[in-house]
Amino acid sequence: MLETLYHLISQYILLPLTLFVIPVDYQIEAMIFLQTTIKIFAIIIPVLITVAYFTYAERKVIGFIQGRIGPNRVGLFGFRLWGLGQPIADAVKLIVKEIVIPLNANRTLFVIAPILSLAPALAAWAVIPFDDTKVLADINAGLLYVLALTSLAVYGVIIAGWASNSKYAFLGAMRSAAQIVAYEIAMGFALVGVLIAAGSLNLGEIVNAQAGSVVHWFWLPLLPLFVIYFISGVAETNRAPFDVAEGESEIVAGFHVEYSGMAFSVFFMAEYANMILIAVLSALLFFGGWLSPFQGIIYLEDFFSWVPGMFWLLAKTSIFMFLFLWFRATFPRYRYDQIMRLGWKVFIPITIVWLVIVSALVVTNIPPWFS
Amino acid sequence: MNKIKHYLNSLFLLELMRGLYLTGSHLFKRKITVQYPEEKTPQSHRFRGLHALRRYPNGEERCIACKLCEAVCPANAITIASEAREDGSRRTTQYDIDLTKCIFCGFCEESCPVDSIVETRIFEYHGEKRGDLLLTKSQLLEIGDKFEKDIAADRHEDAKFR
Amino acid sequence: MMSDDQIKIEIDGRKISADKGQMLIEVTDKNDIYIPRFCYHKKLTVAANCRMCLVEVEKAPKPLPACSTPVMDGMKVKTRSKLAIAAQKSVMEFLLINHPLDCPICDQGGECELQDLAMGYGSDVSRYQERKRVVMDKNIGSLIQTDLTRCIHCTRCVRFGEEIAGIRELGATGRGENMEIGTYIKKSVVSEMSGNVIDLCPVGALTSKPFRYSARTWELVQRDTIAPHDSVGSNIHLHIKGDKVMRVVPAENEAINETWISDRDRFSYEAINSDARLHFPMIKEDGVWQQVDWQEALNVIKEKLGNILNQAGPAQLGTLISPTATLEELYLAQKLTRALGSNNIDSRLKQIDFSDQLVTPRFPWLGQSIVDFEENQAALLIGSNLRKDQPIINHRLRKAALNGASVMVLNPIDYEFNFPLDCKIISPPNSITSELSAILKAVIKLSGEKVDTAITKLLKDVTINKTHQTIADTLFNNDDAIVLLGNFTTTHPQLSLLRTLSGEITKLTHSKLGYLSDSVNSSGAWLSGALPHRLTSGSKNSNIGLSSHEMLAQKLKAYLLLAVEPELDCWDTRLAQQAMQDAELVVALTAFQSEALNNYADVLLPIATFTETSGTYINNEGTVQCFNGAVPPQGEARPAWKVLRVLGNSFDVDGFDYESSAEVYDESIKAIGKIEGDNTNQWQLTVTAGTKKQGLQRITETPMNMIDSLTRHATSLQKTNDVADGAIHINSTLAKKNKLSNADDATVEQDKQQVTMKVMVDERVPDNCVLIQSAHPSQIELGAAFGSIKIGKQ
Repeated sequence: MLETLYHLISQYILLPLTLFVIPVDYQIEAMIFLQTTIKIFAIIIPVLITVAYFTYAERKVIGFIQGRIGPNRVGLFGFRLWGLGQPIADAVKLIVKEIVIPLNANRTLFVIAPILSLAPALAAWAVIPFDDTKVLADINAGLLYVLALTSLAVYGVIIAGWASNSKYAFLGAMRSAAQIVAYEIAMGFALVGVLIAAGSLNLGEIVNAQAGSVVHWFWLPLLPLFVIYFISGVAETNRAPFDVAEGESEIVAGFHVEYSGMAFSVFFMAEYANMILIAVLSALLFFGGWLSPFQGIIYLEDFFSWVPGMFWLLAKTSIFMFLFLWFRATFPRYRYDQIMRLGWKVFIPITIVWLVIVSALVVTNIPPWFS
Repeated sequence: MNKIKHYLNSLFLLELMRGLYLTGSHLFKRKITVQYPEEKTPQSHRFRGLHALRRYPNGEERCIACKLCEAVCPANAITIASEAREDGSRRTTQYDIDLTKCIFCGFCEESCPVDSIVETRIFEYHGEKRGDLLLTKSQLLEIGDKFEKDIAADRHEDAKFR
Repeated sequence: MMSDDQIKIEIDGRKISADKGQMLIEVTDKNDIYIPRFCYHKKLTVAANCRMCLVEVEKAPKPLPACSTPVMDGMKVKTRSKLAIAAQKSVMEFLLINHPLDCPICDQGGECELQDLAMGYGSDVSRYQERKRVVMDKNIGSLIQTDLTRCIHCTRCVRFGEEIAGIRELGATGRGENMEIGTYIKKSVVSEMSGNVIDLCPVGALTSKPFRYSARTWELVQRDTIAPHDSVGSNIHLHIKGDKVMRVVPAENEAINETWISDRDRFSYEAINSDARLHFPMIKEDGVWQQVDWQEALNVIKEKLGNILNQAGPAQLGTLISPTATLEELYLAQKLTRALGSNNIDSRLKQIDFSDQLVTPRFPWLGQSIVDFEENQAALLIGSNLRKDQPIINHRLRKAALNGASVMVLNPIDYEFNFPLDCKIISPPNSITSELSAILKAVIKLSGEKVDTAITKLLKDVTINKTHQTIADTLFNNDDAIVLLGNFTTTHPQLSLLRTLSGEITKLTHSKLGYLSDSVNSSGAWLSGALPHRLTSGSKNSNIGLSSHEMLAQKLKAYLLLAVEPELDCWDTRLAQQAMQDAELVVALTAFQSEALNNYADVLLPIATFTETSGTYINNEGTVQCFNGAVPPQGEARPAWKVLRVLGNSFDVDGFDYESSAEVYDESIKAIGKIEGDNTNQWQLTVTAGTKKQGLQRITETPMNMIDSLTRHATSLQKTNDVADGAIHINSTLAKKNKLSNADDATVEQDKQQVTMKVMVDERVPDNCVLIQSAHPSQIELGAAFGSIKIGKQ
């Protein structure tokens, strides 16, 4: 269906556009550029809409867990619709509000910081395969690219904290920096485990390496690495229980204490986009990406064969996204030193040990995964 | 043995799982949110809402300016000035309650020897300016006059517990 | 070693030594053991009628009242034993039988001894079902409110009347449940100290009328200050709510006022909150008053006064300052006046005879300390209504009199005293000197000493009668005797003669000479150099300025008034009023606005009252008492010392850059040097007897509650009897002669000025004398405080 839509747009809008507007010498390049742009929008717009409704889902889920019903007032078109208009109202409000820049803040950095944290979160989507075929940039070093970009996000936080010229923002930034350094390593090792197991850095190939059945997915042989990867992901995105960078009860709002209006909402979007990214990566790296969970089960496999692979990927991603919310509703914030201890003294040793085990498994061709 | 148990507990994140189970189970429990303007919670006759000054049936204000409410008020929300009225009785010339300071503890009501200052069940009021929330004596008496029936009924219901 | 008078007793297991004959409650009070009480008061006799102080004494069959149980050696007392507590609780229950439950509307609530003790000893539920006793309230004047239903019959007020005030005004009638406190016949309580029963009453039966229902005790903040009315400077507490003085209560100071204060000190605070207060600087432009800011008012003063000083010379400036002003104000006023080149500054507003001013003492000293009055064996009061003028000194002297001291008076009016007098001479003002001369002659004879020839010449024609002789004998034969010159003598036209005569008497009888000054800071006024003839250091001013009367008589071009209303405060009221009206510029620093001021003043500067400024008073005995401002000045008013300081700045005078009143105080007190009263040999010897005038004489007295602008604006005090009534007081002989009777309208003529006044037949006035009370508007036109006067039927 998506393919048809894409071809229609290519055929009847982009092609005539290029043919009649662009000089002949550049027509091929222009066509590729326009097609890529369309693809980028096709990825980013859904992601941003998801971000918006993720905030709604978060309030709803946490509300439910706390015995409340969450937002249910702001509707659409005169109907309440369980508060589905809430994210839109929030967005409008944030856009309309003033961006207050503190008197002695570094204006340039202050404005750049939120962009710096949102851009990597979106750019990483370039290498995410939604399907066998649907990927914007099918590059070989995909995993490395993702790792590089997610690491960049912390600069946004640090710069925001520094540029605000506020002690709370600065404290938040320092906490965030230290925390990300610690968990980046654990996360990196966890991913090394994946690439050892898959033998490739290309995300599509990593998914394909898990083909077979649910037990063929890497979550089973790499279970500790998965757990560590996901927890580190929570830490990377500064989410509860690792949200010391914000730490409302201690340092007001941490690094974004001085931000308001749209600048604040960009940080907000970056946080949620990152969460979605971590969720989709978990699905890709450990849970077989677009592969059907019913693969290798007679009858059921055939029964569900009509379901597109992208659905499975999105379903798996949704479960991980839900986990983020569940965690937040469940766990109290870690003490700062406990976060450090956990990162350095627990996760890193475990990952290293498990890397050795995985390597051994691979070398010895242990079935069913590495045969 | 305990050490091992503890170690395994933390290694397999058992406590975290238990926590997740607990919160997860609440996800499906009945929600207790009251949809406020449409639904309202039941009120006790001891509800402490907007203040009122009462009068005796003959129209004489009850307040005798003893200033006990002013003295007992933990938020210093009450300001009273008193005088000897023409007829020799002790009366207030000023009785202000600053609702922005008031914490609705009900001590004023409790301390009043003549049941003059009372807290009604009214809680849906607002002010658009700061000054709107400073109730003067005449405003308080007006509230009292308007809701005297309800106030008297509530006091009557509570009388047997006093 | 313990002296023989000391005994050992044991209270609650504590070994305590006590004086023999002390009451148990005195010992416990001294040792911080609390025994509840209502009727006991340390300054009153023991009545033992409330029974609240019952304690258990070992070997005594019943609990004994601690207030009337003398301590005995080896006595073992339990104040908190089961028996004692049970007894106290029972007494409390009895007391509460008839006490109404009206604490919420009772002004005593919060400071009520019964309320406090009921917390500790009362039970929460009454067993009394019958009707409570109701007592009709009595109206006993404008100061004290009665709620006699609340009375618990402790009789403190009754005992106060008998023992302290000296007049039995309140008493208990009836017995048992019918016992009532009241005035025997329907009348007001008129004692000058009556307000003290408000403090004494342990319940709310006697409360302050002006304070009634206006505040609760727990809302009040207490600040200390000095009462500004009589010459002793009673210590008082101001009770303040917000920025307003709500009432005044006495502060304890055994050296000055013990625990009492006069009604004047207690109720004058009403004037502070009076409507007549001046809140803004005002200037008169073309006869129209305009409210201006301080800068503009100061500019106007600078311009107008500067012109007068330049054109007419600095000698055309006269400063009249009230002796109720603080030391700082007086000091700055004289500094400013002198810096502007004028020596015309005076605070002796009521004085007329300045002829001996160069030999008088440095300040009008009391002759001894206030406490010493209790030890006096004999005292001669000359021209003094001591009871009203200096109630606290009167109380001390009363103690001495009750202990057997002989008090003798030589007065123009037969003033009432609240203690027995040994002898009294009532004489018209112009013969007071001859009466005193006779006493002196008797004294000279007794002593056998030689005196100056001028004196002998003076006494040549004087005849001594029996009373003179008695007075002379008494003064001569008692070791500790004092001759006191009262307020009346200050206003006497022959003050110097009176001074010399009484001085010689004291010298020959080896007794003390004392001056009773008329204002709280008269001493400060003299010491600070607010006098035309003396500087702050006490040394003679080389260029003697004009005295207050001369300033008025010479009609200067510019007057600076500080808290003075010349037409009410000066000796010659008509002259004062005219001088003010004729002056080119009158600058009045005043706390109150008045019609007269509006009429003649050109600039009015609002100043603070005594509660609103920091300052210092030096009292009659020379005690320096400093106080701080307790409330902010009302409106735009400023402490007078600040106004004077800025006036100094605006005239570019050096040495006016004070930051605080403390700096002014330091400078002035340094300049004053040691404050030491010395009245010996400070009178002139070359004196002449005045010519004796014939016909009716005027006598002027300033009633207790008319002495300064504060008391004049205190509404409740103005409703008492101690105010000027605007009537001529004559005795019945004179009335009959002129066919006048009470409340008739009479024409009064003095210095060719005629006014109409009511007649009051007053037997205290001697023959051929007319008593007129000063500070009443009706008598301003008459003028001089003494002189010939004519009355007639209208």
